[in-house]
Amino acid sequence: MTITFPSREFDEAVAAACHSAASDDQVRALNALLRSDGAARDEYILRLELHSRLASEPGLFSAGDGITSRENAFQLPPPPKVRTHQLKWVLAVAACLALLATGGWIFRLSHLNDRKGATSKAVAMLNRVADAQWTGSESPRLGAPLEPGWLRLKSGLAQIVFYSGARVVVEGPAEVQIVSPSEASCRSGRLTADVPPQARGFRIGTPQMDVTDLGTSFGLDVKERRTELHVFKGSVEFQSATGSARQSLKEGAGAVTEKSRSPTLISADPKAFAALFDLQFKSSAAEVLRHEQWRAASSRLNDDPSLLLHFEFEQTDISEWQLRNASHRKDAPLEGTIVGCQWTDGRWPDKQALEFRSVNDRVRFDVPGEYESLTLAAWVRVQGLDRQINSLFMSDGFEAGTVHWSVRQDGVLALTAIGSEPRDHQICISPPALTLNQFGLWVHLAVVIDGGTKNVVQYVNGAPASEHALNINVPFRVGAAEVGNWNAKGFPKSDPFMIRNFGGAMDEFCLFGRALRAEEIRGLYSTGRPQPESVALEK
Amino acid sequence: MSPESTSLSADKTASQQRFLSLFLRSEREIFRYVAALVPNVADAEDIVQQTAIALWEKFDSYDPAQPFTPWACRFALNKTKQWIERRQRWQALLQGGLAEELAQRREELLPDIERRLKHLEGCLNQLPAEQRSMVEGYYYRRDGIEKVAEGSGRTVAAAYKTLQRIRQALQACIENSAKGVAS
Repeated sequence: MTITFPSREFDEAVAAACHSAASDDQVRALNALLRSDGAARDEYILRLELHSRLASEPGLFSAGDGITSRENAFQLPPPPKVRTHQLKWVLAVAACLALLATGGWIFRLSHLNDRKGATSKAVAMLNRVADAQWTGSESPRLGAPLEPGWLRLKSGLAQIVFYSGARVVVEGPAEVQIVSPSEASCRSGRLTADVPPQARGFRIGTPQMDVTDLGTSFGLDVKERRTELHVFKGSVEFQSATGSARQSLKEGAGAVTEKSRSPTLISADPKAFAALFDLQFKSSAAEVLRHEQWRAASSRLNDDPSLLLHFEFEQTDISEWQLRNASHRKDAPLEGTIVGCQWTDGRWPDKQALEFRSVNDRVRFDVPGEYESLTLAAWVRVQGLDRQINSLFMSDGFEAGTVHWSVRQDGVLALTAIGSEPRDHQICISPPALTLNQFGLWVHLAVVIDGGTKNVVQYVNGAPASEHALNINVPFRVGAAEVGNWNAKGFPKSDPFMIRNFGGAMDEFCLFGRALRAEEIRGLYSTGRPQPESVALEK
Repeated sequence: MSPESTSLSADKTASQQRFLSLFLRSEREIFRYVAALVPNVADAEDIVQQTAIALWEKFDSYDPAQPFTPWACRFALNKTKQWIERRQRWQALLQGGLAEELAQRREELLPDIERRLKHLEGCLNQLPAEQRSMVEGYYYRRDGIEKVAEGSGRTVAAAYKTLQRIRQALQACIENSAKGVAS
């Protein structure tokens, strides 16, 4: 058989190659043609590229259903099918990394417990689950803070991040008690603990032994009368319930305690904990993936001509005190100025954020122009509401046409719009939106001030929290303004209401010169949320 | 744990994060590089998976000053060659140095291909609803040809044939759009 170009035989052979349906004759003839005919080769390459592009660019399919790609600019989140499909590869890598099993998880919440101001009683967070079924009526929500108490996992896997920094993956059926940020106990079940240096001293009790971690990774298999301890990395100290002396175990070693007998030494068997390691890696890989997806969505967002200011808080040089404005708008201000503040971790381990702690911490900038409408949006992690008014964003002073956006001490979101007449202003107050339980978690806040429809809507995590009729006349201005603080400009500093520094971290801030629609706010939230709703277990 | 091993393990984690981040960013390009040689989607994915493992094993030797994708594609070419060695039909397709030739020529053509494929999204949106739904089922949802065939009331062979025609239509549309922009 020979194939010429162009011809129907050529078309068919190329299609058959794409679908893995080519016959021996076809492939031999195609090989001969492609080696001798440059034009056929170029055409072949183009056709294969079209085919592989369709298979590898889910974004191509996102603009369907008659929605223009412009309107769809924020709606990046690929459907679950695509995510798991990509994850499959990542997980192959992860499986391979798991063999090299390392500890030292990057940790973000460890500094929480030494924060002053109000905090919740939570000592840990449910960070990730896979096919988790819980015993009892109440199953903990993903991302929920966990207060001391029992967790009963019927089946599946759950990862708990303790506020000390320890990460524990539990495989059901299991009963685990959360005691404190650095202590847990396990009555039954299998678990792995990954303890970074700052969480050294993390303890887990079982009916047969008490295990104290010395900065490492280890596994426990707990049954009613028998506990197995496996040390994968670093070293661990344990004491059996029979009251024997404390013993220390090194990497690769393990111990079994059965009934009231004294412990026998075994070697560690990481294979028995493969599923748990897998979840740890999945968690890490998925975080990197979320960050990448957000980056892609973010770069599309920067093309929005109404985007005046976009602080992505992704700085290559953290000694730099200029904060880059990522908006592509030509007349947009180039940057903000960081005053004080500390760099810290953001929504994902490799995402940066700026932390506001002291009364002087702030980011200053100047935005020219007048706008009929404004939209403000930010990802924040509140550590405590220490002030009566905690500033998210405020123009300096009380200038006509400017706005102040803040969180009150009671968790209420407040938007003040200032009119042109003296004393003419309006304060839009949401119901309490930031409760103790949300402290320490990343939350998306937004407010839309629509001068066209005379409407103000506040949003929390993509959903409307309150709506108000707007009584202030347009246009609005920004001028000199700050994120995370307020320049009172001439008002007495001694008045406690005048000190408005924010306590917490921010890792994204957007200012638009138009009113975003509800679905656009939802889009900002869903592309930026730290983790997807739930995680399917790879079959 | 000693301070040294603590810092080593932190290095290791940072290096995993860095690797995953680089790999995820290049993954689609690596896939397309492989698919130019082994166009069957599932097989190409298989090869990319093996490439990922090889890349991680050799990540120590990666020079961060160099772009990641070309470095990764060199491994992908090797993995592809190893893979086809065990598969007669693919070997027959790529024998006589055709694999290297295709990879090299593709690189030369890539800027031009990118210019044309910019119009792919617009052309996809112009497809009649039924065809678009078949393409979505096969390429995007990865339903498998049986399900795609069943959903469109065709035999498997007819579904393959239809997909081939749809690709031809898309290619014609892309060429037209590219010309329209040029003139």
